[in-house]
Order: sequence, then C-alpha cells, then structure tokens
Amino acid sequence: MTDIGIALPKGVSPDSSPASSRVRHMLGRIEYEGYLAGVIVVMAIVLTFTVGSAFWGSTNLSGLLLDVAIDTVPAIGMTLVIVTGGIDVSIGSLVGVVAVVIGLSFEAHLPFVLVLLIGIVVGIGGGLVNGAIVAWGRVPPIIVTLGTLSVFEAITYQLLGGVWISTIPAELTQIVVLDRLGPVPYSFIVAVALVAVFSYIMARRPIGLKIYATGDNPEAARTAGLPIRRIQLFVYALLGGLTAIAALMTVGQSPLVMPTTGQDFELTVIAAAVVGGTNILGGEGKVIGGLLGALLVEMVEDAAILYHVNSFYQQIVLGAMIVAGVAIGVARRRARLGAKAER
Amino acid sequence: MAAEGHRGEGGELTARPGADETGTRPPGGGGTAGGVGAPFARLVGVSKSFGSTRALSDVDVTFARGRVHAIAGENGAGKSTLIKILMGVLQPDHGRIEVDGSPTAIASPAAARALGFAAVFQEPLVYPHLGVLENIFVAGPERSRLGDLDRPAMRRRAAALFEQLEVDTALLDRRMGELRLGHQQLVLIAKALIEDAKLIIFDEPTSILSGAETAQLFRVIQRLRSGGSAIVYISHRFEELEAIADSVTVLTDGRVAGAFEARPFDLDAIVRLMSGRETRGYGAAPAAHRAGTTGPPLLEVEGFTLRPYFEDVSWRVSRGEVLCFYGQVGAGRTEMAKALFGDLRPTAGTVRMEGKPLAARSPRQAIRAGVGYLPEDRKAEGIFATQAISENIVATVLGRIVARLARYVRRSEVRNLTDSQREALQIKMAGPSAPISSLSGGGQQKVILGRWMVERLKLLVLDEPTRGIDVMTKAQFHEIIRQLAEEGLAVVVISSDLPEVFEVADRILVMRRGRIVAEFANDGTAPPEEVLRQAVALDQADAGARGASANGNGTIVDVGGVSVLVPSGDPEEKEVTGQ
Ligand SMILES: Nc1ncnc2c1ncn2[C@@H]1O[C@H](COP(=O)(O)OP(=O)(O)OP(=O)(O)O)[C@@H](O)[C@H]1O
Ligand SMILES: [Mg+2]
Repeated sequence: MTDIGIALPKGVSPDSSPASSRVRHMLGRIEYEGYLAGVIVVMAIVLTFTVGSAFWGSTNLSGLLLDVAIDTVPAIGMTLVIVTGGIDVSIGSLVGVVAVVIGLSFEAHLPFVLVLLIGIVVGIGGGLVNGAIVAWGRVPPIIVTLGTLSVFEAITYQLLGGVWISTIPAELTQIVVLDRLGPVPYSFIVAVALVAVFSYIMARRPIGLKIYATGDNPEAARTAGLPIRRIQLFVYALLGGLTAIAALMTVGQSPLVMPTTGQDFELTVIAAAVVGGTNILGGEGKVIGGLLGALLVEMVEDAAILYHVNSFYQQIVLGAMIVAGVAIGVARRRARLGAKAER
Repeated sequence: MAAEGHRGEGGELTARPGADETGTRPPGGGGTAGGVGAPFARLVGVSKSFGSTRALSDVDVTFARGRVHAIAGENGAGKSTLIKILMGVLQPDHGRIEVDGSPTAIASPAAARALGFAAVFQEPLVYPHLGVLENIFVAGPERSRLGDLDRPAMRRRAAALFEQLEVDTALLDRRMGELRLGHQQLVLIAKALIEDAKLIIFDEPTSILSGAETAQLFRVIQRLRSGGSAIVYISHRFEELEAIADSVTVLTDGRVAGAFEARPFDLDAIVRLMSGRETRGYGAAPAAHRAGTTGPPLLEVEGFTLRPYFEDVSWRVSRGEVLCFYGQVGAGRTEMAKALFGDLRPTAGTVRMEGKPLAARSPRQAIRAGVGYLPEDRKAEGIFATQAISENIVATVLGRIVARLARYVRRSEVRNLTDSQREALQIKMAGPSAPISSLSGGGQQKVILGRWMVERLKLLVLDEPTRGIDVMTKAQFHEIIRQLAEEGLAVVVISSDLPEVFEVADRILVMRRGRIVAEFANDGTAPPEEVLRQAVALDQADAGARGASANGNGTIVDVGGVSVLVPSGDPEEKEVTGQ
C-alpha cells in the first residue's frame, strides 16, 4: 500500500513502532514493486526451463538489457511527468527528430561529443516546448503532446527529405552496444545509475516532494504557492533530455536513421511507467518502477520472439499491459478511498 | 440588500458600526514593532468580483496583534474570498493591503508566507497520498546541510506541535488520506502553525472537529494570542465567537455591515446585520412536534454491526418521522449510515424496508430502493467538482430524466429542477452552468442537498446537513427537513449540533462508541443536558463541575436557551490501521 515514491518517514524511526507493525510496514513497503519483481523472476524461471540456452545466451541477454536500458531512461522522465498528473505521447517522434539531427550532424563531420551534446539539447528543447504549453497554455497534456507528436514527425520528414542516413560512426555502436561488463552493456549500467540518482531526488530532495504534491492535489499545491509551472516545465524538459539519450542509444543499436525511427516508442515507455506502478491519475509512482516495468515489458517481448509469436500479438500484449497497469493503479486508489471511507 | 453602507444601522447596535475606521488606525506611519492591539494587517477599500458576482465591495478591516478577529456572514458573503486575498491566492480588483502601516502587494501565496501569514482554508487542501509529515512541510521543508529533506528535524518540529494540539504523534507516520476528516483538519492546523506566523487565519476550522478537538484548538488560539499573533477566525457557530473572539466584523453581500469590539456580542444584532433583514428569531424555542411516531415502521434495523465502528445497533423509523442521531464525532454514526447506503459492508444485522429485506450492496442499489444519503465529507464524496451546478443537482435523477421521452438529457427539465432548487435553497450563483467549484463552501452543501430533494425517495439520511451553513439558511434547512417529513418521507438526521437536534427531531437516538445508548422523544420532556451527557458519558457531578471558560476542561455556552457543552474528554480514535 505504501507505494508512493518518497521514502516514508516510517523508516526514520522504526524503533517507535511495535515489531509487528514494522514487519507489516516492510511488507507494505515492498508490496507493488515486490510483486513486480516476483513476476519478473517467475518469467525468468519459465524462460529458463523452456528456452533456457536461447534466453541466457549472451547475445540475447545483452540485447534484452540494452532494450531495457533504452526504455528505462525515458521511463524515469515519464514517471515524473505522470506523477505531476501529465502524460507525454510525443517522445517517440521526438526520438525521430533527435536521431535525424545527430545523423545530419555526423554527416557534416561535426566532432563526436559535440554531436551527442547537440542531440541532448534538441531533446531538452522538445521537452521544453511540451512543458511550456502544458504549463502556460492550460491545454490538457495529452492534447499538447498529440499536437507536438505531429509537429515532430513533420520536422523529421522535412529534415530527412525521403532518404535514410547511414553514416553513423561505429564509435557510437561501440559505446552503446559493444562496451560491456560481462553480458551487461554499459548502457544498462548508465540506466541503472540514472534510476538511482532520480530515486534519490524523488525521495530525499525538496523538488521530489513538490513534484509529488503537484500531482496529488494541484489545487492545494497552487494555494500553497508551489511553483507548479516551473515544476511542469522541469519534468517535461527532463523527459525530453532523457528521450534524447534513448535516441542516441537507439541510433547506436541500429545505425540507420529512417522516417520511422522512434515510432510507437512512447507506448513502450508509458507501458514501462504504468506497469511499474505509476498511477495515471497522478500523485504516486516510483522511478524504480519504471526500471521494473521496462524489464517486464521487454522480457515479454523477448519471450514472444523466442517462442516465435507473431508480432501482431506482441502489439496486443503491449496494449493489454498498458490497460492492465492503468486499471490496477486506478483500482488500488479506489480500494484505498474505500478504506478511507471506513474511518 | 439593505446594508448599503456600513454605518446605516448604527442605532440598533450595541457596538460601534464600522469600528475598523476608529481607534485601531495606526498612528502616522509608525508602529512596525507594535505590541498587543497594534494594527498588523489592514485591508483598505478592497473589492473583488467574479464575473457579475460582487464577492467583496469596498471592504475595510484591520487585524491587530494579540487579538482574535472573528468574521461573520451568510453563506456567500465573501468571507473566504477575503481570506484568499490576504493569502495571495486571489488578487483584489481594487483597494490595497497594508502590513505594519505600509502598502504591501501580496502577489502570490509565497509572498503571503514571506510576510508571516498562514491559513487553514475552508476546503481541506490535503495531499492524500503523501505522508502527514510531508503534508505539513511541503511548502517549506527542513533541509540538511546538503539540502536534502531533513525528516528527523521536521518530525521533531511537527511532534512538538502535535503535542500542543494533543494529537497522537504516531499520525505523523500515516498517509494523509488514511486519516479521518477531523484529524486531517488538525494536521492542516498544525501546518498553519508550523511557521510561527504573525497572522493566522482559520476559515471554519471547527466544522469537522469534535468538541474536545475544538476546545484544544481554542487553547492553542489563546496561546497564540498571548504570544502577540493576529488571528482571524471565521465560523458560523456563534457560541464559538462568544468563546474565542475579541471582535466580530459582519460581512453582508461583500460589504462590512458592522463591527463589534467588545464582548458580550449582541448576537441578535449580528444576525440582523448578516441578513440585512429582520431575523426570524435565531435560537427560537424548538418547534412543536407531533407526539410519538406515526404509522408502521418504514425501515427496521436489527443488530447492525461493523466493528470497530458500530455494534449491535437496532432502530426503526416511520414515514413522516424525523429521527436524529446525536453523538460525538467518531461515535460511528457516519459509518452506520454508509453501511445502510451500501457504501460499507456490515458484518451482521438485518435491514428491512416496508417489511422486505433490504441489503444494499452499492449506493446505486440503495438509491433504487429509495434511500438517499447526504455525505459528511462533501468535498470528497458529494461533489462532481468539475461539473456545472445544474449537473450536480440532477446527478442522481439523470437516469430518470433521460429515460422519460427522450434519449438525451432534457435541458429544460434540468433547468426547471435547478431553478426550483436554487429558489428553495437560495443558492448564490452566477448561473446554473457555472462550475460548482465557484460556489462558496455553504453554497456547495446546498447544491448537494438540492440533489436529494429532486430525487424520489422513501428515506433520506442527512449526515451533518447544516455544517458550514449560516444561521439563517440553517433555519430554512430545518424547515425543509420538517417539510420533507410531512410529505411522507422518513428522514434520518445525523448531527452533532444539539440545538439543531432539538429543532428538527421527533425522536432522538444517542450514539456513543458505536452503540445506541439512549432514546428520547422530542416532545418537550427531554432535557438537553441529559442528551448531551449521554453522548459524552459524563456523570452529573462531572458535567456540573465544568467551568464556562475556554481554558477550562469544557465550556458550557448558552445559545438561544439551549446549553451547549464543548467538552474536553478523549476524542474517540477511529483511524484505519494498516490495511
Ligand atoms: N472562483 C470563483 N468564481 C466565481 N464565483 C466565486 C468564486 N469564488 C467565490 N465566488 C462567489 O463569491 C461569493 C463569495 O464567496 P465566498 O466563498 O467568499 O463566501 P463565504 O462568505 O466564504 O461563504 P461560506 O460561508 O458559504 O463559506 C459567492 O457568491 C461565491 O459564489
Ligand atoms: Mg467560505
């Protein structure tokens, strides 16, 4: 039940509560993430016994972890956006824009690091546009980002001019895909590090508290004088920047920029966030959930491939996971409201 | 209304009308570090309109250090608007605010905080999914040297305040949404006090507090006053004004209609000023009631149980009868009503309606069986917050309006229903299509009552129906309740307001700690003191010994001939523990 992202103050002085309630509290604390981790473990076991060698083979495992990393990084930002009560469906086409821009920059032989920086700046810029319209435009986030989705798509087509870009330096593939610690790509380690940093921010920094408050009760937050607009701007810009990192990884993974690069990516990321326990109604969600959600989503996809399931069904499964994730979140909240009625 | 200028009715007043213009004006420009009674904040010629609604016009009022300033006024008089302007939530259209004698712009809530203003707003503004501690500190958290949230430090500060308010510090570890309303309110009060504010505003803080919690709050307010804080206090309960206020400013239709600077306040004059018309007699003798119950029981409840809220509760109510459940906050009355309404599942007991078993498993089923319930927590349970007023009124009849004749919601019918309720309840609104959130707190309550009045019911359960309702409208509500009964409805009223109980009830059941402990017929033979005593379980000597001071252990105040005890016994703790 204790699934909000802040480290609840119960942990602060456990000695003040009796042992039984401490145990119950610990159980409560791991509840949702615990179940999720359990599901992931069960899936891994099932995969081990059915297609074991294919699953644990280093090619499959590294590929899986890279996919998880690519989803997890923006899922962090998506979690924060959803916690504030927002949503961003434009990030797939933002990946396209970033990919095209860095592709063109590589073509122009700009220095490698500069290209990466340009990519991230473009991502943050796209996020700022979303955030600014949400904060000042009084337009619902889903509408705003549906709009920018089209705009970003148009920009991609325009810049790409109907051709593909294939002059991506091998250097990028090297650091994104090939540099590994055992079977674990550095990209995955970067993703986990980012999860750790943002978990800390959400649990321990004042900004984290304000982000939760903004989504939990916007009216109260406004009355309390919280900088709601700056917070919105921040989370969307952050999501934009993290999306750019995902775009860099995507281009490193498949060094080819096409008009369809990034397409439908937003679905996977939103799935990772809501499956990870972030409530679509705002106010609750954990960054770590984004990682677990990404793991689950990608494992399902991986299993589908290993079992040779038609990709048509993969889409259905992804859709079902989003719906289930949202439904569980809403149901949990309703259950809690019911509990409250039993004051 | 009549009150064109606030000097108009001076002749009838015991106190000086427009006293804000006299005496308390700061001498010259000095007095930044004034002592007790020195003006701290002052509104000068403040006006505020919402579209065509004039919420405030040309309001002058001064708040001085070390004094409790009460503001009284009808629903929609502009009290909350005034508070929101002081707190930087709203900006005035005209006029200015002076703090320590110098004009000050309060551009945002943050600016108000920086000036040392704090408020407990009428609508409980809580973050349900955050911890209680986080709720208190969200706007100004304690930080460690590295800028992290310093929870141990926040905990220490909050715990000290909780002890002052006599709230269990274990609540600090709970999620806000798990707390019952009264405790949420106490947390919000703690939140307002945490900053050592110089001006502290309470907008109807006690409407969801128990008597004991109210007494505790009053003690804290006394302490703040001695500490030199300026306090603004809004309440519809006149006995509270008597107990706590140093002065009363009356707002009528957004204007200052008068001010009273010294106790005892002339309550009749206040009521006259509030309404701008002759009073119908606030606190008049209880209406005459028909003796006994009429006819066979409509609803029979036997052995109804849901621990720990209520246990083995049995009662019956007939058509045309008004049955009141009186008791302390937390006595289990709300939970019992919710179980009846299908919102909670009782573990034992039977309910029969017209002899046939009734086990509503959802509010929908209950409504279909002819049972209506006006909830206590209107913000969370009663309102479709983003919908228009008219839609809120017709929310439950919607099915019927649609079913009849047309497959779309018939606009004209909606309009008729809205208009009739607006008339009957005197709801101040810009128009039926305005959002319900634009209504004053009391106005919202009226809309929800209006919703049940348009529904065709056999039994209507009203949970604290007049909480947050001004005295004039209250009398009107009581009339409506009596009228509904006369039309053949069985009405169950849950109320913690003793004068109200005696005003409307045919029969009174007293609940204490989840059980029915006494029954009285309201035929003039039931002594109010005895009813009260049953509810709080004080023995006679104990009750008699309690003094009439807000600093004592309990306060007995005489309101319109009815004694009201604000006791200070232990509030009954009814919190959900870990699910
Ligand atoms: N945001 C808003 N938009 C439109 N009208 C509003 C808004 N807020 C308040 N009003 C109107 O202004 C008037 C004053 O409202 P206010 O909330 O100040 O009343 P109040 O004195 O606090 O009443 P109550 O005792 O019921 O709380 C009412 O007529 C109300 O409908
Ligand atoms: Mg109000």
